[in-house]
Amino acid sequence: MTVEQEHELDTLEINVNVGPQHPATHGVFRMVLAIDGEKVIDLVPHIGYLHRGAEKLSENLDYRQAIGLQDRTEYLAAFNAEFCYVMAIEKLAGIEVPERAEYIRVILAELNRITSHYMFMGAFSTDIGVFGTAFTYGFREREYIQDLFEEVSGDRMMYGYFRPGGVAWDVPDNFKERVRWVCRQTRVGISDIDGLLTNNEVFVARTRGIGAISLENAIDYGLSGPVLRACGLKVDLRREEPYSIYDRFDFDIPTGERGDSFDRYLVRLEEMRQSVRIVEQAVEQMPDSGPILPEKVPRRLRCPPGEVYMRAENPRGEYGIYLVSKGGDKPYRLKIRSPSYCNLMALKEMTVGHYVADAVVVLGSIDIVLGEVDR
Amino acid sequence: MSPEELQEAPVVPPPAGSVADLFVAVLPDVEFQATQGALDVILTVDRGDVVRILRAARDDPRLDFKYLRCLSGVDHMEAGLEVVYHLYSYTHKHNVTIKTRLPQDDPSVPSVTSIWKGANWHEREAAEMFGIFFEGHPNLVPLLLPEDMTDHHPLRKDSPLAEIEEWQAERAGLAAGETGEAEE
Repeated sequence: MTVEQEHELDTLEINVNVGPQHPATHGVFRMVLAIDGEKVIDLVPHIGYLHRGAEKLSENLDYRQAIGLQDRTEYLAAFNAEFCYVMAIEKLAGIEVPERAEYIRVILAELNRITSHYMFMGAFSTDIGVFGTAFTYGFREREYIQDLFEEVSGDRMMYGYFRPGGVAWDVPDNFKERVRWVCRQTRVGISDIDGLLTNNEVFVARTRGIGAISLENAIDYGLSGPVLRACGLKVDLRREEPYSIYDRFDFDIPTGERGDSFDRYLVRLEEMRQSVRIVEQAVEQMPDSGPILPEKVPRRLRCPPGEVYMRAENPRGEYGIYLVSKGGDKPYRLKIRSPSYCNLMALKEMTVGHYVADAVVVLGSIDIVLGEVDR
Repeated sequence: MSPEELQEAPVVPPPAGSVADLFVAVLPDVEFQATQGALDVILTVDRGDVVRILRAARDDPRLDFKYLRCLSGVDHMEAGLEVVYHLYSYTHKHNVTIKTRLPQDDPSVPSVTSIWKGANWHEREAAEMFGIFFEGHPNLVPLLLPEDMTDHHPLRKDSPLAEIEEWQAERAGLAAGETGEAEE
């Protein structure tokens, strides 16, 4: 058989099912890849395996009880999710937050962004095949911050610490000292990861040019967060529409150029450094004493009729809480606009045309949290 | 809370020079009601005008709402269902909320997937959760719920939690009331 004849043979398209239980899907997510040889020609994502009806449940709990559901929705950045939720209530009910509570919340939310990105670094490098070291480093460094969270909130993942108007209780006496120590440690940790991955030949070869999406398409799909910034658009809700006290800090917004998986990694890495900068400034500015909740918050919190769409910059992008109140002590409707749900919509656009092995890289680079996708 | 206790938000006219005035300038012949919400200006439009207004919102350089932040369904019981679009413009840095009411017996609205690709999953979610029909959606099948669960709409107010638990038990092949946990 000559080479020429071989090319005349028909190839067969086959469907490959990945997930729902698969190490590369970061939870329970299923995608069906249609492949022609090694090339992906179509992709159908299936979500909903972790749908627990957080929105419906919130409508049946009072405003404070539903804070716990926010932790369980976005479990890798629970402080950020709680933050957005309590801010939505504060906007609607017109609750003023004391200065000290604002600083505590910003510090914890930014540190949570760092832990979330550490998780990404560890998991993503494992997806790619740089197995072991980066994963262990990421998790070791995350643990230092996790310890601090445990000291403050009493829990390692489901904090339930933020309250409409402030935080549940005051931080430990040595809080500032501990945060400064964690910042120093984190700077070292970030450069460790940087040194391990950024110039790693395998890592670059597997991510450069993979899963690229144009800026126009990214906006059309409603992408947000590091995935959008990697396309080159310099937007960050902390700067665009400063909420809480973010207008008091000096920080840069890293952007990429090509919108590929490697740029997404670089943007996240730089974001971690910027978060450390914000935390360091916040610790210096934070008052040593003062109230952590406004003096008069009713035991039974009621929101006047109205609606608000509160948005915050979470590690994965724009986290939105659409809260409709018709009076009373429960939300009438609560919609969670979760960033990785929206980012995942563009998965097909990013993956088609690449090899099967790259599908895993693209999925990893979006940094999905299935709890938040399915809610 | 019983339905009698529910209160509606008061209509507060937005300040002069708000994004509502831009919509009047771009679409002088379209009628809408403008309200100032807690953060954004809310425009309530007729469902027949939805596509025209949203297309203009995206394509007119004065409005330039290229980013569909969120699309949600809301059930107002007798007052009908509502579809809410949250938009943002990266160039002008302004926000707007556009919503439209649909009658309960005919909850259909044209799809906006042709305007923003990102509307796709949001519309599928609103369709399965509220039973809203999005005309012209390319693939309006359940997304988060099981594929065959097309007769229940869990986020509607006429589906209380207890009832949802019964459906789940039914699906799991259990009689109502059984928890499905093994008895010791």
